[in-house]
Amino acid sequence: MSPRACLAVFRHELRVLRRDPSTAVFVIVMPLVLAALMQRLFKGTLVAQGVTGATGAEFAVPGMAVSFAAFGIGYAGFAFFRDHGWGTWERLRASQASSLDILVGKVAPAVGLSLIQMVVLFLLAVPLFGLSVTGSWPALLVTVFALALCLNAFAVVLTAVARTSQQLTVFASVGGLVLATLGGAFVPVEAMPGWAQAGSPVLPTYWAMQGLLDVVIDGGGLLDVAGPVAALLGFTAVFAGLAAWRFRFDEPKVYWG
Amino acid sequence: MLRVEGLHKSYGRVVALRGVDLEVSPGEIVSLLGPNGAGKSTLVSIVAGLRRPDAGTVFVGGVDALARPKAARSLIGLAPQDLGIYPIVTVRQNLTLFGELAGLRGRELRTRVQEVAEALLLDDLLDRLAGELSGGQKRRLHTAAALVHRPRLLLLDEATAGADVETRAQLVALVRELAGEGSAVLYSTHYLQEVETLGASVVLIDKGSVLARGAVAELVARHGGSVVELRFDGEAPVITRDRPGRQPERDGNLLRIPTAEPGPEIAAAITAIGAHAARLQSVEVVRANLETAYLAITGRRYEPGEEIERA
Repeated sequence: MSPRACLAVFRHELRVLRRDPSTAVFVIVMPLVLAALMQRLFKGTLVAQGVTGATGAEFAVPGMAVSFAAFGIGYAGFAFFRDHGWGTWERLRASQASSLDILVGKVAPAVGLSLIQMVVLFLLAVPLFGLSVTGSWPALLVTVFALALCLNAFAVVLTAVARTSQQLTVFASVGGLVLATLGGAFVPVEAMPGWAQAGSPVLPTYWAMQGLLDVVIDGGGLLDVAGPVAALLGFTAVFAGLAAWRFRFDEPKVYWG
Repeated sequence: MLRVEGLHKSYGRVVALRGVDLEVSPGEIVSLLGPNGAGKSTLVSIVAGLRRPDAGTVFVGGVDALARPKAARSLIGLAPQDLGIYPIVTVRQNLTLFGELAGLRGRELRTRVQEVAEALLLDDLLDRLAGELSGGQKRRLHTAAALVHRPRLLLLDEATAGADVETRAQLVALVRELAGEGSAVLYSTHYLQEVETLGASVVLIDKGSVLARGAVAELVARHGGSVVELRFDGEAPVITRDRPGRQPERDGNLLRIPTAEPGPEIAAAITAIGAHAARLQSVEVVRANLETAYLAITGRRYEPGEEIERA
């Protein structure tokens, strides 16, 4: 792997992102709006669960952070499909950048975007929604970083499987929705039907929510989130393995839009 | 600079290359000439490291491109057949990316971006979005991106496809200039006239095989006598030639007579076809050039857009 070539791809992706910031704006603004709308909905539930002084933000903010990170999984994929559409994919492959340089250079901005989206939401929620993070902020950062890595590794798997941008849109939309809802980010796991509760732990978003709720509500620190973070990194490793097995750099992909 | 030996490539049952050999020396322009589907793009993409051959070897600047593709790619500049630019960033940012990928940094990178933009008349457009350029300007940017790092081997795959006359002339002039500076150029095209203008060596490829190679003048001298073509309404008649030389060839409604003296040949042919003259639609003299050489080598007229069916 060449750090220079990887950095060149990374910088270029940032230039593209700057030219078309609509995705970044969407994933940063929308969770704030939805967290504000859903805050009161969760207040009663949290109080009933014995969370004293709950404002509802204790669930709404982690929930929206995880949900919108999941909804954003298409972004990393489109970074690949765009190049197929613009005819630049072959040029990149013919350059001195290795396949791994291209992959890391394209996925890293998406990881950064997920990370910024979640961190900005938590930071703004403190003054805007009265969120009180009772545990350790480093533990919160480690958890959201592990989630960002995991979801974007999953995005690469979806990209590897999709042949057209239309397929990627469908996979990312359905995948994001399943990850957000069944992972317990939209509705607390305890409020879901039994079958959904049983299935929830097979999703990385479940573990992200467990880690974040530990930190926000139960005063958790780095040791407390070790389990959820390990689970997220485990998922990341599985997705990375699947991506390495399935991703074909010489496979033509069809992009429209 | 480039040595290709025994290259074979199939896509399933479709054979794209059948044992192609090729050499390009520093400062030399080799035109890879053939109709669509002849195997040109497959050959270029294998040299560029985008596809692996089923058999054969590729050496770029002495580097085994199949064993050490990254090292070989550092010597190559590729402008693929399809336009490949980033429309939502500027011309400068497009060129900067490919310069950075080739390892250029700082002042050297800025200088090269400026130089290559000037060479392709893009210097006034450096800060314009690539998507806002005209078709010809986009094609020039597409080519410029392959040149930023001064490649020792330049692979231009149908570089002028779809370009306007002015852009085509500029690109051809640039290719000659680059070769003059010592770059080896493999220039894939299906425009015969361009090859003649380039004054390049020609490798004539068809159905995945090299049919002929050599300088344009040499190929024309060896294979390219003038031809008189008579086109009929319906099947061309059978005539026997009483003049010295090759016998006429029938190809559907076309009667083709190879000749060094087109005038007397036409007069003789009109007499020979007799009553069939009533069905005569056109008479055309195809002068000795690369096209007639192609005709002599392949047995059919050159149709740039024809799709060759591969068995």
